[in-house]
Order: sequence, then C-alpha cells, then structure tokens
Amino acid sequence: MRTDDLIERLSGALEPAPKGQVVRVLGLGMGAGALLSALLMTATIGIRADLIEAMGGSAFWLKFVYTLVVAGLALAIVDRLARPDGTAGRFALLLAVPILVMAVLAAREFLPADATIQHALIMGHSARVCSILIATLALPLFAGLFWSLRRLAPTRLTEAGAAAGLLAGSAAATIYAFHCTESTPTFILLWYSAGILATALLGAALGRMLLRWS
Amino acid sequence: MIPQEAQYREWMLASLQGDASCYRKLLAELTRHLRGYYARRLGLDGAEDAVQETLIAIHTRRGTYDPSRPFTAWVYGIARYKLIDVYRRERRGQTVPLDAAGALFAADQVEEAGVKRDVTKLLARLPEAKRRLVQAVKLDGESIADTAARTGLSEVSVKVAVHRAVKAMGETLRDGNADG
Repeated sequence: MRTDDLIERLSGALEPAPKGQVVRVLGLGMGAGALLSALLMTATIGIRADLIEAMGGSAFWLKFVYTLVVAGLALAIVDRLARPDGTAGRFALLLAVPILVMAVLAAREFLPADATIQHALIMGHSARVCSILIATLALPLFAGLFWSLRRLAPTRLTEAGAAAGLLAGSAAATIYAFHCTESTPTFILLWYSAGILATALLGAALGRMLLRWS
Repeated sequence: MIPQEAQYREWMLASLQGDASCYRKLLAELTRHLRGYYARRLGLDGAEDAVQETLIAIHTRRGTYDPSRPFTAWVYGIARYKLIDVYRRERRGQTVPLDAAGALFAADQVEEAGVKRDVTKLLARLPEAKRRLVQAVKLDGESIADTAARTGLSEVSVKVAVHRAVKAMGETLRDGNADG
C-alpha cells in the first residue's frame, strides 16, 4: 500500500480517542490480577483468623502502609513507562523513602536487642514461606500487568517489566498481609521486600521478551 | 524544544477529539520526518515499510499520548522503538543511541534536502523508464503489484528493473561521482 493511501485510510476512519486509556487498561489488568490473587489466597492459605482484633493495633497497619506506598510509587512508574517517551524519573528515587523509613524502624528494635531476640525478629514464625508466598500471589497480578503493557506502548522494556514486577509484588504483599500474622518492622523489611524484589527481577528478566508489541 | 512542537501538538489534540483533517495533516508531516529518519538508517529499501509501521503504531497507540508532555518526544519514542524492532528482526546487532527527539525533527530539513538532492541527481542518470519505476516503488511507496498493473509490466520485471536501477545508483555513489 502506498503511504499516502495509508494516511487516508487511518484519518478517514478516525474516531475520538477514549480519554485515560493508559489508566483504564492498567486498571483492567491489575484489577483482574488482584481479584485472582485474592481468591487464590482465600482459597488456599486463608485470611488470618484474628483479623478483626489485629486491626485494633498499630503494628497491623505498618505492613499495609509499607506495601501500599511502594505499590503507589510503582503504579506511577508503570504509568510513565507504559508510554513511548516515559522514564521512571523521580518516582524511582522516591522508592528509597518507604524503604529508609522501614530500615530506621527496624534498626530501632533490632540493634538494642540481644542475640536470641534478634534471631526471633529475623525469623518470626514464617520466614521460610513469606517471600515465596508473596511471589506466588504476585503471579496473577504479574500476568495482568504484562497483558496491559502489551496493549500500551512501552519502549524501555526491561525497565517497564521491572516496574510491573514491582507493582505486582507490592500489591501481592498487600493481599498477603491479610493472611500474615507477623508485624515487626525487621521481619517486614526483610521478607516482604525480598518477595517484592523477586517479582521485580522476574519482570526485568522477562520484559524484553514478553513486552514487545508491534 | 523542537520548533514544530506547538503546531504538531495542537493537531494531535484536535486529532484525539476526532478531527480527521488535522490528523491527515499531522500524519503527512510526520511521514516526511520519518522518511528522512529511516532512510538515513535503513536505506531507501527498508525505510518505507518502517514509515508505514510507525504510522500504524502512532494510530493504534495514540491513547498513550499524555497531553501534558511534548508530542515530538512521544513520536520519537515510537520511531526509535520501531527502528530497534527492524534491527532486531534483521538480526543486525546494532545499538540505537538514545538521542533527543531532535534526531527525528530538527536536523531534518537540512539533511532531507541534501538526501533529496543526491537522490534526484542519481535518478537523473537513469533511463526514463527505469527512473519512473524507481520513483513509483521507492519514493512514492507504491507496491510492486500496483506498479506492474499500472505499467503493464510483469511484477518480476518491475522488481528486477528496480533492483538493478537501485544497484546502479549505489555503484555510482560508491564510485564517488554522484556530483559529476
């Protein structure tokens, strides 16, 4: 086809572009992924039995603040990297804030404690499964976000994949927090972050391969 | 800032509202820039396909343009991505420097004029019939089938004639007497 004819054809069939396409497509992929992930959790490991009581304590909310702040920043980064001219920009630097805050909180309880308590702070009672469960719960979200990105126009595929993995991991960690009974900053900083990081690395590794669109 | 930014952005915003005439103008202008951009990097052979693929991508992904950001950077992002895509398909291990959008828009008038002048000179050395074929297939982007139908030649003869003509032009260039 001649290029002039192509232009005629494209402009002839032009319809107003729906507003907020990026947000809508991301919302769709992420919403479906989150729903699946939540269903997967309630059907297998379940929500913690003492949820209502635990909600009364401030330690319970710490996990959610941490994972939701990371998820919010990750969403902002994905939204930018979903566009051809997007860069992670200052949002990537802002990720240091929640991590530093958690590190300070963890250091305050960890450093003064004696060795037995330190060991208990690190291991909690679920250190062996925490990161793995978070990474597993992240898979539906991961798939949903990759589905979304392929319909948008990312051009930095490794970065976009990493950001999508970060978002999937932190959203999954938020869901997992309804199951998990751990609440010390040390444990959350170590094992929640490890689960989230694993998904981000998976995204970086698969981005170039799976996010290619044409 | 790219000089055409304000004008193109205005056309783009109108296009997103569904204004077909602004959209047609915009695509025609972008085609000019894209042709220069790809011709310099892929040669005349691959350029037109890349231009068309990019126009289609601009069309199908136009919802990803954020009006609060420069439009020329958005287009350049797509053009560069498509260039990398072509290199990847051809398995040329070439890297594409991350230039500013100026790589697509700014230097272009001067360079494009230069390219056009060279091509015109080279074309002028071809016999009339061959020149017409090259013009139709390589510069106007007409398909081999259409050209064959229009001229009454077989597709194979069109292909062979164009191929030989382009090769001859290339040899002229290599011998360094394009200016002669």
